[in-house]
Amino acid sequence: MNAVTPTPTKLPPSQHEFAEIIHRLEAGGAMLPDTPENLKQIIGIYKAYAVPMDFYWRNLLYIAERVFLNPLPAFKYFLPQDYLDRHNHYAGEDADLRIWRGEATAHPELLEFMEKGEVKRKLPKLLHHLWHDRINMEFAEACMRAMFWHRNMGGQFDPYLDTEEYVANADRAIKAYFKGNPVMLGLYKLFPDMFIEQVRQLSYYSNLGLFWEVMAPVFFEMSDLYDEGKITTVPEAMSFLVNGIFAIAGRPIYHHVYIRGECYEIIPKSKGFMWLYEAALPYVEAVFYRTSPFRGTKSYNAQAKQVPENQDDFHYGILYADVFPVGSAGIPPTLLMQDMLHFLPPYLVEYYQQYCRGGDDTLIQLGVTFQRSMYCVTSAVIQALRQALLYPLDDPNPEHLQANRAFFEAQLNRLTRPEARLRDIQSQDYR
Amino acid sequence: MADIVDIAVGSEDFSTLVAAVQAAGLVETLKSPGPFTVFAPTDAAFAQLPAGTIQTLLQNIPQLSRILTFHVTPGKLTQADLQALDSVVSVEGSPIPIQKSEGFEVKNATVVAADIEADNGIIHVLDRVLLMG
Repeated sequence: MNAVTPTPTKLPPSQHEFAEIIHRLEAGGAMLPDTPENLKQIIGIYKAYAVPMDFYWRNLLYIAERVFLNPLPAFKYFLPQDYLDRHNHYAGEDADLRIWRGEATAHPELLEFMEKGEVKRKLPKLLHHLWHDRINMEFAEACMRAMFWHRNMGGQFDPYLDTEEYVANADRAIKAYFKGNPVMLGLYKLFPDMFIEQVRQLSYYSNLGLFWEVMAPVFFEMSDLYDEGKITTVPEAMSFLVNGIFAIAGRPIYHHVYIRGECYEIIPKSKGFMWLYEAALPYVEAVFYRTSPFRGTKSYNAQAKQVPENQDDFHYGILYADVFPVGSAGIPPTLLMQDMLHFLPPYLVEYYQQYCRGGDDTLIQLGVTFQRSMYCVTSAVIQALRQALLYPLDDPNPEHLQANRAFFEAQLNRLTRPEARLRDIQSQDYR
Repeated sequence: MADIVDIAVGSEDFSTLVAAVQAAGLVETLKSPGPFTVFAPTDAAFAQLPAGTIQTLLQNIPQLSRILTFHVTPGKLTQADLQALDSVVSVEGSPIPIQKSEGFEVKNATVVAADIEADNGIIHVLDRVLLMG
């Protein structure tokens, strides 16, 4: 393992259980050790993640903006061409801020997979869909639901969903959407709260879609930089993420719905909601840390207090996950692993074969890699928050350095519980 | 005496701040009688933000306004007034903590010049841009 060279610090050593990792963070490193093997794994998996993510964000926005309250949304995963052609705001020549050098429309590998699937044959779309030979949007929806179910994770977006202004905006859109449909309008009159709650969920579809629209080009660019030899260490990868977080922090988070050619602004851009505060931080909290116990992996007895009483103590996210083999139906992370399997770069396929205990084992290994990569993303979030809210790592004032340390220690306190995989990822043998 | 905007425009250190305030359409507000207390980051403070940060904000005026109004609080609060408080509430709505340290520190920024009086308020100059959270 290559240790990050510590910068001169005026503080005595930390007494924290994870003192070594605290010192690494204080030296500008990540929670994930800086080794070439770790770097290869995380960059490879970012690329494999970015391709399905390019589908997720487009489909999430399609559902939020167009499918809307369709009571029988059987075809909501059948993305129309204009959403595949939709320009990503952070890739392509007309980007607001060009993060990825590639094209703004759907990624070529995604388009190829959508056409021929895993079976590599051009069959009717419905057959690919029913055979589940497709991008597993259910994973993206599970992430959205985690955000929606936990709610109250900071930012102004979530409290806005309970305001009269939001309800009035949603009401206008609901009435327009069901215009000329007395049955649905009658149901809305009888159960208005149920419809408003559905619209709130759709606002979270939009929130997550806008969040991932940024992350896909970030990961594509990291992969390209690695291939060119321009990202050579884990801290460099993390710094790229930190800079990306700042660069895009001000991106608006909103929810627009298009009904018969007219745009209804359920959450207008003018509310000032921002990518960092209203999407990224709640996403990390909900998906990396909390989520909820997945049915099918383990039986939990809530009465025996096996499930925390407070939602903010939930710890079922990727940072804690016991990576589980595919084969159990409907477990969201395994759906993601299946999606990433289709887009692994050759060097990662080769790497997994070296250690493979059989074909299905690749899925587990890439799940563990994904966990490592998300520890790197979480490190970037922690360093970005430190940079935004606290002090530079080389600040000459020891009080400031102490404040940084208290922040790092508080962050790592969340990862001291036995389920957390922070200890495991320190070793290359965890796979 | 000059108002808050006049003072900022007249200084060489605030060109980024002035450009941002103009882009956000906040000039009229900051020229109104107020009074306001403005925490004004210098050009060097803005330059510390990673590349692209300001570009994205300038493309999105409501979001830019939110960051800028986080640097303003109602009333004319001098260094002595502020140091007697734990925090003040910004026009954006989030609190701005005042640090109990030897120097004059607002949140994670150090005040490099305090108590610059204006017709409609007071300016404290910061070495860092303040971000909510």
